[in-house]
Parts: sequence; C-alpha cells; structure tokens
Amino acid sequence: MERLKQLAISEEGFIFDPVTGNSFTTNGTGLFILEALKEGREEKEIVDLLTEEYGIDKESASRDLMDFMEQLRSYRLI
Amino acid sequence: MERLCIGVSGINAVDNPGPGVGVIRSLKEDKDLKIEAIGLAYDAMEPGIYMDWLVDKAFVLPYPSSSEEEYIGRLIYLKDKVGLDMIIPTLDAEMPLYIKAAPLLESQGIKTFLPTKEQFDLRGKTKLPQVAKKIGLKMPKTKTIASYQDLMKAIEEIGLPVMVKGVFYKAYRAYTYQEAVGYFRQIVAEWGYPVVVQQVVTGEEMNVIGVGDGLGNDLGLVAIKKLWITSLGKIWTGVTVKNDVLLKAAKKFVQKFNWKGAFELECIVSADDVYLIEINPRFPAWVYFATGVGVNLPATMVKTAFGLPLKSPRDYPAGKLYVRYTYDIVTDMSVFQNIITKGER
Repeated sequence: MERLKQLAISEEGFIFDPVTGNSFTTNGTGLFILEALKEGREEKEIVDLLTEEYGIDKESASRDLMDFMEQLRSYRLI
Repeated sequence: MERLCIGVSGINAVDNPGPGVGVIRSLKEDKDLKIEAIGLAYDAMEPGIYMDWLVDKAFVLPYPSSSEEEYIGRLIYLKDKVGLDMIIPTLDAEMPLYIKAAPLLESQGIKTFLPTKEQFDLRGKTKLPQVAKKIGLKMPKTKTIASYQDLMKAIEEIGLPVMVKGVFYKAYRAYTYQEAVGYFRQIVAEWGYPVVVQQVVTGEEMNVIGVGDGLGNDLGLVAIKKLWITSLGKIWTGVTVKNDVLLKAAKKFVQKFNWKGAFELECIVSADDVYLIEINPRFPAWVYFATGVGVNLPATMVKTAFGLPLKSPRDYPAGKLYVRYTYDIVTDMSVFQNIITKGER
C-alpha cells in the first residue's frame, strides 16, 4: 500500500497522484475504502466496516470492495 | 545590488512560444537581482518587443544562419549601447553559434552559461541511446538510416507506426510505409542525412527542467506532466510531479556529463518504464512554471554566472497547476516603426 500513501486525497474525493500527475474522483464510499486501505486494514476487515457503515449485507460489501480494488489496480494505485 | 543588463532571445510569445518571456519574467521576479532585460528578436512582430513591462529594451538581430561576423558585431554594438552583461540564448538554432562564440563574448565582457560543444552534441538522436543508458532511462527502438532500403528494413524491424525524425530537428509519426517514405524525403530535403526511425512509445508525457553548474551539480530540477497540449504539441496546461525515476535520471545526467547550463529532458513514462525522447540544451518555453513553484532557474543561472550567493536549493510541491492564456496588447505604431527602421526599441 506504499503507492496509496503517496496519494493526495481531499475530503471531497479528489485524488492526485504526485508520481504520474494523474487525478481521479471518487464518492464517499470510495473515500471510506481508501482511508481503510491506507490504515493498513485487511480486505475482510474492510468488508465488515462497510457492512456496519452502510447497513448492507456482506456479499454486496465484498463485491463492491472487489470492484473498487480492481479499479485501483487498473489505475496502478495499489 | 548592481544592475545587470541581460539579453534574452526567444521573445516570440506566439502559438509556438519561445522561452524568452518566461526567462525574463523569472529574472525580474527574483528579489536579489536588479535586472535590465534586453529582448533579442529576429522579427519586428515578436510580441516580446511590445511587452514593455517586462522587456526594457528590444533589438532585432540578424539570423544566426546569416553571417557569424555580422551577428557577433551586432552583439558587440549592444554591449556598447546598453552595457550588455550576459546573454541567455533560448532558441535551438542559436545554440551552436553561441557555444562557439562564448570565449569571444566573454572577452568582450558578455557572459554566457552554456554547455560545451561535446555536451551539446549529446542531444543528437544518434547519441541519445548512450545517454539514456548512462542515466538509467530506456530508449524507444531506434535505427539511424541513410537510404530508402534502410528505411524499409527499419520499419520491418520496428513495426508501424514509427516516428521519422531528423537528427536534430523535426519528428513525424508515420502510420503507413507511404507516409514514412514521404516524411523521410521531406527530412532529407530539409536537413540531409542521416534520418532516425524510432518506435512509437505510448504513455504519459513528462519533462524535467534543470540547470547544471558544469561541475556535476544541479542548481534545481522540476518535473512536470503535460495535461493539455496545443495542435503544435506545446504545453498549455501542466502539473508538477515527483517521479523519482525521472528526477534521479536528471540528476545523473548533470553528474555524469558535467552538464553546464539549462536543459530539458523530454520523456514518456509508461507504467514503470521511463523512455528518453529528447534533450533540449536550453530552457523550455514553460520555464516560468518552475519559477512559479519556487525554483527560479534563470535567476539561479545568472547568480552562478556572476558568482553571486545562492540560496539553498529550493524544493517544489507536486500537484501545482500551470495554465497558459492569451493576452492582447494595443500599442502605438511608433514602436513597430522604430523596430522596422532602427531595429531597436
């Protein structure tokens, strides 16, 4: 998660990557996940946090987390 | 602080802008320097001539390709007339002449801060692969060719599309054999042999600006990414980045070659690979971007040339945005008239 620590992330969900100069936007849920990843939490732990925070079932939380992580990977942010 | 009279060329702030106006603006913004800026132009229509809030005086010079004697004569006239202390040439076509004439100008009391002939030659596209290797960067597959047969063979090896380039100037992207042949002929007609055929690499266009002191130290480096370019490929919007590979390569470039003077490394970053595309032995037109983020390279260069104290190297933040814009000036015809009839303002 070294790459994640380099990112400048604003409260509004604007993400700037100082290595590539690329910028991205995300919503509140994305921000929530990014924060958890930066804190070094495991994926299983993040699923629990999402379930608690958004009142959704574990299956949906896990699917959404996987989707989001895949997007981060495609942008080479993790 | 004594006033310094600095001549700066490239005040053609047009759609393919010269770096001169950015250099002058940087010099004027340095609080330790007292600068009288002399704009050195080649055409009466160069906008810098009319920007009197930055360019204190302006003079038209003969083309560097005309007569060397006449050119130097004009500079010596400027020394007598306005007390020129230093010249910062910023255009590619001027560099060979200034590098050659540097000792003569120095003897006349006009300083320069330029690479040596050997350093200047490193930018030739045939030498770039060696430079890239030495500073830890990759190079797109490159073939130097001198005939139609070579061109065909190079395309077969590299695969289309390819870049067809002159050794020093001009670069075209060819998608077909026919296009490649057309560009090959065009370059040969204008610049002669050899011609360079290069693999097209895709990725983020990132550049580094810097100044070397000639002893292996850099006097400041700033890396940027182009966010928006014009149809001529010139940066219009950019952002500062902190790309370690790129910045380390620029440091190595200065160290390994004892580079003296301003430079720009043009690179393409594709995932973890950084490709060296071009070295420019001068300030780029976006030089003011570095000044704006706290790394005033023209001022540092002038201070080094005159042995003035330097402030400790300034760092810069990533994520600073650069935005160019256009501006209009309405002025009297007399300025244009003076430039046309007397060659000066």
